[in-house]
Order: sequence, then C-alpha cells, then structure tokens
Amino acid sequence: MFNALWHSLPLWAQDGAIALALLAPALLQAPLILRGYRLGPLLRGLLRRHAGLSLVFILLIATSVAIGAAITAQERALRQGSARAADKFDLIVAAPGSEITAMLAAVYLQPSALPLIDGETFAEIAATEQVALAAPIAFGDSWQGAPIVGSTAEFVTHLAETLAEGRLFESTEEAVVGAGVPLEIGARFTPAHGHGVADAAEAHDVAYEVVGRMPRTGSPWDKALIVPVEAVWGVHGLADGHGPDWDGTLGPPFDPSRFPGTPAVLIRASSLWANYALQRAFTTERTMAFFPGNVLSRLHAIMGDLRQILSVVALLTQVLVTAAVLAGLMMLTRLLARRLALLRALGAPRRFIFALTWSFAGSLILAGTALGLLLGLIAARILSGMITARTDVLVTAHLGWPELHLVAGFVSLTLSLALIPAALTIRRPVIADLRL
Amino acid sequence: MPRTPPPLRLRDLAVTSPGGRALLTLPKLAIAPGTATVIRGPSGAGKSTLLMALAGLIRPARGEIRWGETDLAALPEPAIARFRRETLGFVFQDHMLFEELSAAENASLAALYAPKAARAGLAARSEALLTRLGLGARGARRVDSFSGGERQRIAVARALATDPPILLADEPTASLDRANADRLVADLMSLARDGGKTVIAVSHDPALIAAADRVLHIEDGALRPESARV
Ligand SMILES: Nc1ncnc2c1ncn2[C@@H]1O[C@H](COP(=O)(O)OP(=O)(O)OP(=O)(O)O)[C@@H](O)[C@H]1O
Ligand SMILES: [Mg+2]
Repeated sequence: MFNALWHSLPLWAQDGAIALALLAPALLQAPLILRGYRLGPLLRGLLRRHAGLSLVFILLIATSVAIGAAITAQERALRQGSARAADKFDLIVAAPGSEITAMLAAVYLQPSALPLIDGETFAEIAATEQVALAAPIAFGDSWQGAPIVGSTAEFVTHLAETLAEGRLFESTEEAVVGAGVPLEIGARFTPAHGHGVADAAEAHDVAYEVVGRMPRTGSPWDKALIVPVEAVWGVHGLADGHGPDWDGTLGPPFDPSRFPGTPAVLIRASSLWANYALQRAFTTERTMAFFPGNVLSRLHAIMGDLRQILSVVALLTQVLVTAAVLAGLMMLTRLLARRLALLRALGAPRRFIFALTWSFAGSLILAGTALGLLLGLIAARILSGMITARTDVLVTAHLGWPELHLVAGFVSLTLSLALIPAALTIRRPVIADLRL
Repeated sequence: MPRTPPPLRLRDLAVTSPGGRALLTLPKLAIAPGTATVIRGPSGAGKSTLLMALAGLIRPARGEIRWGETDLAALPEPAIARFRRETLGFVFQDHMLFEELSAAENASLAALYAPKAARAGLAARSEALLTRLGLGARGARRVDSFSGGERQRIAVARALATDPPILLADEPTASLDRANADRLVADLMSLARDGGKTVIAVSHDPALIAAADRVLHIEDGALRPESARV
C-alpha cells in the first residue's frame, strides 16, 4: 500500500520527501527550542566576540561538507558525461576481444590497435535486414595528436545531424572536423601515422582540406578529423574498397574483395527493438557486438563499489569533523560560561540559555554547511573542467538531490548533537561560573 | 503601576560551602518592604553569600528565605529563575555588562527572553532609565566605549528595566571614584525611593550607608547583634 503510493510519486517528489525526512529532526527541534525568544543580538555578539574560533569551526565543517558534496557530484557528472558522449553509438561491431578496449577506441577515440574486420564480414553486416546504417570507423592516424577517423558521409550525418559550417566531404582529399579542431574551413592538414605529435610520428605525403565542421557534441569527437574511409586506406597504400571501374563516389556499397578492413563498425538499427536481434546476429566467431551504453553501465557498476568506498570515506570525514566540532563546542561552552551564568543570575530561563548555546552551534553548522556546498560545487567544477580538458568528454558537475540529502542528514545530525553541549551548559553551577 | 515589594523574612538560615564548612548562619532576620538596607563587614565575612542566597543563587543547607509567601529555599530551580526575572534587580560589583552589545541592548537585555507582550514596555522603560541616568543620547554605542561610572549606571538601568520591586546590589560603587560613586548612589537611591522598592546593598560606601534606613554588620558568617538603625 505505502510502497505502491511511494512508487507512484514522481522522482522529484520522492527525492524531496527524502530530503524533508532527513531534515525533519532539525526542522522539528528548531522551533521548539527557539520559540518565544529573541536570540539575534546576543548571538551576533557572541559570534563577534569569538570570531576567530567560530571561523575555524565554520571552515572545518565547510571542508568536510565540501569533500562529501564534491565527491558525489563529481562522480555523478562523470557518469552522466561519459554516457552522453556514448549516446550516438547504439551498437558497435568489432573483432572479438575486449569490449571495453573496443569501446574506448571507437567511442572515446582512445588510441589502441584493434584487429580488423574483413570485407566479407562487413558486407554481411551491411546487408543484414534491419541494419539502417553500417559505418566503418577506421582510426589510427592523427594530426597534432588529434585523431583522424575514416568513415562515411552517412556516419557524419548520424553523428552531427546538421553541420555547423560547410558541407560533407565529397572526395578523398576532403575532411569534416569536430567543433574543437583549430582549423578553419579551407585549411589543409597532413595526417601522421599513429598517435604521436606531428614531428614524432611518421608523416604521410597527403593533405586534406577542411570542408565542414560539426556542432559541439561534448564528446572526444569534438577533437576528431573525419575523412572518407577510402582516403585512410589510400594513405596506407591499401585497396580503395571499390572495384576497378569505381567512379570515385565515396561510401557504400564496398567491394568485399577490395575492402582492406576496419577495426570497428557502427550499426544503427532501423527500429529500436531490432537492436537486440542484431547484437545476437553479430556475435559470432569472427565478430563481437556490444552496446556501449551497456558496457558503460557495467563499468559504472564496477566503479559503484569504488563510489561506495568514497562515500564511506566522505561520511567518515564528516563524522570525524562532527566529533571534532562537538568537542570544540564543549570547549566553547566553557568560554561562554561566564556570560551564560550572568544571564542566569539575571533571571534568564534555562531554556533561553539552552537556545542560545544551541543556536550558537547551529549558526556555525549552517554557515559551515552553506560554505561547504559552495566550495564543493567549485571543487567539482574545477575537477570536471580538468577531466573535460583531458578526455574531451564534457563533464559538468551540479549539486543535485544526493548532495542535498547528504547535507540534510549532516545538518540534522550535527544540530541534534549540538543539543548535548546546550544541555550541559544549563547544568553548570551559576555562582562558580560567575566567579570565572 | 509599581508593584509593592514583599517583606523579607529569614529563619534558621544556614549556608555551607560545598565542602560542608559553615559560611553563614542567620537565626532570624526581617526586612520591611520599601526600605534600604546596607550590609557591611570585613572581607570574607559572608556578605556576598547572603546576597546570593537572597537572590536564590545559592541554596541554603537549611532554613527559610521568605519573600512574602515565597520561600526561595524550597522552590525548584525554574521557579527561582522566574522569581529573579520578575521580582529582582541585581547590580554587581563590576557591572558585568555584555561588552559586544550597545548600552541600550544591555539595559533592555531582559527583553530578549521576556514574553512578547512585555517587550515594548521593557524597551521603553530601559530607554527612559538611560535618559534619566544621563546616557540616553549614547544608547546605541557599544559598551566598551563607556567609562567605569557610566557602565555601572548602565548596569543600574538593566537592573531596573523590568521595574522589579526588589533591588539587590553587591558593592555597586566599589570600582568607582568618589564623584562617580556619589552620583551612582544618588541615582540608585532616588530611583529606588521613587518606585517604593526594597534595596539591599552590600557596601562600605559612606554615601550609601548615609542614605540607608538600616545597616547590618556581618562577621564570620553571623549577624552582629548591634546591627540596627544608623
Ligand atoms: N563556593 C565556595 N566554596 C567554598 N568557600 C566559599 C565559597 N563561596 C564563598 N566561600 C567562602 O565563604 C566566605 C564568605 O564569602 P563571601 O564572598 O560571602 O565574602 P564577602 O563578605 O562578600 O567578602 P568580600 O568583602 O571580600 O567580597 C569566604 O571565606 C569565602 O572564601
Ligand atoms: Mg563579596
């Protein structure tokens, strides 16, 4: 009954409810404790008087919150970014081997040498019913460290939908580049063999002209230079993939006997439900077929364990910091003891003293938490920027529900713990404290 | 509407230190409402101890501390705090103000924990008191910019802001020079007399002694029999 109701709620409502439940202890105790009192002037005074120590506490709390928030936000951003970068790659066929290696090479353009799929096999794949697009992805060359990929115009259209600038390639001397490639339309470049920087790698004596530019995709393909697959074969002195009477029209159909091979093939099925049938069909002795999305999920699942370790670490720092803060608050109540005793000597109710101590601690906790969220977001943004710069996978960290849940739990826990020093202050002897 | 102070009646009072040493023994003492009493005696005699006991800040080992019908010795802690809050004003030897607050905030400190309905009256009264004590124009300034005599006057304003029928003071002029002490005594006594308040002050100040209705001598934790009207 409750379960059914819960699952019928939209996700945001579930997340909101969890956040509220986690915050409930804080939200319930605060009005009970603070009711009827004006704590502002004394609170401000105490904070000002103990500004240095208060700042240390705030920074301590902020650091622990920042670590927790940054870790979870960053990890999620990485997952989402890598999944988004693989969005266009429905089904990949490659020679049997490691799916992860093939995925890293074909989707994320990480340099690696894969065995090739031959012409017969490619022809079979391309001719299979339900295959709407079978595009070779032939990598291996580079320009100034950026990957040059041989494929077809259909593949470019599949990846980019509409070009940001220029047109598709129409001859083996033309190229379409990613949004992040520092070449203008009309510029020429010479491919190098392998993946080193230009002078270290062996240069080919061909040049391509840039005729088109793809829009930004937030994937490593933003750095890629796509050329006709026939050109890649030609540069390496291989057959051109077509028969002797080829008129120069690029792309399929290819002649199986004059097809030098491709390390990977991107498949788009004509309908969604056909994908699984195709994957089964292409899982043979000569080929393997996999969904990058699935491989990624498996990777993330493996990393999930790491994630758990990280969250335990984050939680542990938070518990340690909480303990340190609590110990600090105990010290602080001694510091405040004389003024609290004075208030009691003047007749202030015990609950007022309790509320003052608790809200003093609460101010430090809330200020530290807010600062921590901000620092965590900044740290996650910086980390994301570094990852994006390194991998070209666009990673953007945001604060989301998991961070809010973490913070809500932290605030509730620490505010509840702050009841302890508050309770201890009202048990202190007034007269002895007045003489301090 | 000033409240009439309750009469004070001590019976069979004994205050001991936490170690069990007798600090104060008072078989009998009565103080009439609306009178000013000064307690004097050598250092360590037990004067402050008596005053703290009268304020309910020290619980006696035995005996009664009756303010009217209320026996502080038998009251639970929260009720004593309420009694202090509603019926007592207290001036300490060294003002004991909150340095980080303004003069006005110090004087109206009780408004922070008073019931909402009482806050406005309390603030108005503390402001009027500061004005009467010659500090009205500087109410917004922080206490740490005031002289010793001025601080002690702020402390008097704080003690009287709730218009308590009873005013207790522990050596209120001890840290002041002659001129400041005289001014404080004059202010304190005129404010107390105007309100018909009971004043009990520990002091050796000749001006305060001269203004008192009665002087009590305490020595070695006991009242000297010659304690009487001056
Ligand atoms: N908590 C305590 N434990 C032990 N002894 C105490 C305690 N409080 C006060 N005394 C002792 O009780 C005696 C009376 O102290 P009290 O402060 O009342 O003296 P006093 O008359 O106010 O002296 P002074 O003029 O110096 O202020 C002193 O001997 C003091 O040391
Ligand atoms: Mg004393």
